[in-house]
Amino acid sequence: MKKHTITLHPLGKELQVNDQTPLIDVLHEFGIEFPCGGKGTCGKCRVRLLGGEIETTPTHRQKIEQLGLGTDWRLACFSRCTSDIILEIEQFNHLILADESEFDFTPGEGFGVAVDLGTTTLVAQLIDLSSAKVLAVETMLNPQVKFGADLISRIQAWMDGNANEMVQLIRSAIGTMIRLMLKKHEVELKKVTIVGNTTMQLIFSNCDVSSLSSYPFHTNDLGLKSFDPADLGWNFNVQENVQFFPSIGSFVGSDILAGIAATSLYQKEDYTALIDLGTNGEIVIGNKNQIVCASTAAGPAFEGANISMGMRAVTGAISSLNLVENKIVASVIGNTVPKGICGSALIDAVAILRELDQVGMFGEINSGAPQISITGKVMLTQRDINEFQLAKAAIAAGLTILTNQLSIQPAAIHEIYIAGGFGSYINIGNVVATGMIEHDPSKIHKMGNTALIGAKMFLFADRGPADQILAITRHINLEGDPNFQDIYVDKMLFPI
Amino acid sequence: MEELLEKLLEAVEFGKVDKKSPYPPQLRDMDGAHELTIRAIETGIKPQKILEEALIPAMERVGKKFAECKIFVPQMLMSARAMGSSMFQLKPYFASGAIKTKGTFIIGTVKGDLHDIGKNLVSMMVEGGGWSIVDLGVDVGADKFVEALKNNPGAVIGLSALLTTTMVNMGEIVANIREQAPETKILIGGAPVNDDFCQKIGADFYAPDPQKAVEYLNRIAS
Repeated sequence: MKKHTITLHPLGKELQVNDQTPLIDVLHEFGIEFPCGGKGTCGKCRVRLLGGEIETTPTHRQKIEQLGLGTDWRLACFSRCTSDIILEIEQFNHLILADESEFDFTPGEGFGVAVDLGTTTLVAQLIDLSSAKVLAVETMLNPQVKFGADLISRIQAWMDGNANEMVQLIRSAIGTMIRLMLKKHEVELKKVTIVGNTTMQLIFSNCDVSSLSSYPFHTNDLGLKSFDPADLGWNFNVQENVQFFPSIGSFVGSDILAGIAATSLYQKEDYTALIDLGTNGEIVIGNKNQIVCASTAAGPAFEGANISMGMRAVTGAISSLNLVENKIVASVIGNTVPKGICGSALIDAVAILRELDQVGMFGEINSGAPQISITGKVMLTQRDINEFQLAKAAIAAGLTILTNQLSIQPAAIHEIYIAGGFGSYINIGNVVATGMIEHDPSKIHKMGNTALIGAKMFLFADRGPADQILAITRHINLEGDPNFQDIYVDKMLFPI
Repeated sequence: MEELLEKLLEAVEFGKVDKKSPYPPQLRDMDGAHELTIRAIETGIKPQKILEEALIPAMERVGKKFAECKIFVPQMLMSARAMGSSMFQLKPYFASGAIKTKGTFIIGTVKGDLHDIGKNLVSMMVEGGGWSIVDLGVDVGADKFVEALKNNPGAVIGLSALLTTTMVNMGEIVANIREQAPETKILIGGAPVNDDFCQKIGADFYAPDPQKAVEYLNRIAS
């Protein structure tokens, strides 16, 4: 049978399907919703055809016209796959990773839900505990985003009297996601496991986060929290309970605990590192005997914040740059005119400008101009390059300090996993070229949403692995290291 | 003699600490601030002149280039290190009173905050501007500032913070200092801070970069 490739933007996923496969079957797996049930009346399942062909019937064309959409739009519920196609999914106009990786598990009974409660995005999966099959996915922007993008502004909002609203918002958002999945699959839930960073855990649990606002950044509420769904305002039953897994430290949460489980670094003889490049950048290094972890302030630049033409990975963002015969060639999400640059391409840009010797080892633009044109109207300013240096130095310094804490040589780290939304799209060679990760590229692997993989593993394994990991894990405050400043500033330089 | 000071100025501006230091590449194998300062003293150049005609103008150039985004933190830190190696040779002359500074600057990162790179850069630039520095470190509360002020009457105070959640502590510190020594000049800086906030808490000056702090201090000293 003929096969076709479907590429999904901005998810960056590629999948193979049989000829004539209805798009509704494919996209359903990715959490795309079909509110009107495929009647073509609501238009919510609209997708933009960026490449290839989808044939339309007169009815389909009429619906598109009635919804006021352009000729490049299709309704997924009316479409079948008859060629290789590239789609931009309207419902995914923010970047969310819904993981489908395989993992080892001991089959159980019933159904469970795993939730990755991120600072920016929420992902929930309904899992069949007998097969570990993902039955449904829901993704959503964290509704607390209105209180600010980063953790410190959330903590500030909490202290400014928004505590109740923040707790209700997040509890109700996750309840809604689970309810939507249960609508598609009417099953009785056995349990729900949630992972997230410490601040997200405390807010969900209605625990005070104000102690995380300033030094010594201490909280006594790191432990596992169990809830009765009724107490969370959820109107569906959970046979066992809802568990928010324990945090490791004040700024390293159960999302990283889950990441450690997902990489199984706590079971390995050799040292392994995990770098989560989310809104907050966390780093873990360890093996079966000892694990150290820390958080860094690396995130915002990679999400487009503080970069003059920075943006998230949405239509119009340059997603990658390549050097072809000394010319910079850009890939733009949606194949449109580039409007800005997202985190993955920012790394490419700096690596390429270094290679072309347009940027010096201190990050200076060699021509002395205040900015460099990347492609079209997209520019990088001197300040943007400096912002990137701060971010990449935070990661590199974190890796160095944690390696020192373990009293091991960098070469003793066998493998490095990169997790997190933006981590899936980066060019590893360029990451190494900028000095962000000073290791052999062959050791570095992308691993997707390790928090969600770990949360799923916790559904099967209960507390065992989490307790095992916590027993050997130390949380390090990078800035408390007496050599932090020297190392951090040193890592702002580019390798020669 | 003049040539020696010019070389020292260049060594500090470009961060050449000593002869064996590999940075910057264009000054490889040449004398650094360490050797040049020793030679200047041996030649009989007055320490005050070394400070005023080499170190201060060098750090002023560095501060201006940093404010214009022409150089970044690593180069500024290297210049500061070169200046430090020169200052180390001049230390006895500060102690004996042969060198007069423009005044004393007390600086610290405020209570609840551990970020000190920004604070350190300002501290080094102000020192390079010809001031004596009392660095109180990080997580510094009002009591420590007030105590340092008692030991250094007439000193100017600098408050640093990097977090929106800790900059609020600046207000409390300013109020406390005002209570004890109302005439004290207080300047503030840090990523979340701005002019409005400076006025709101009753501080005297908001410095958006280290050079602006030096320029403000020089204005009130003259």
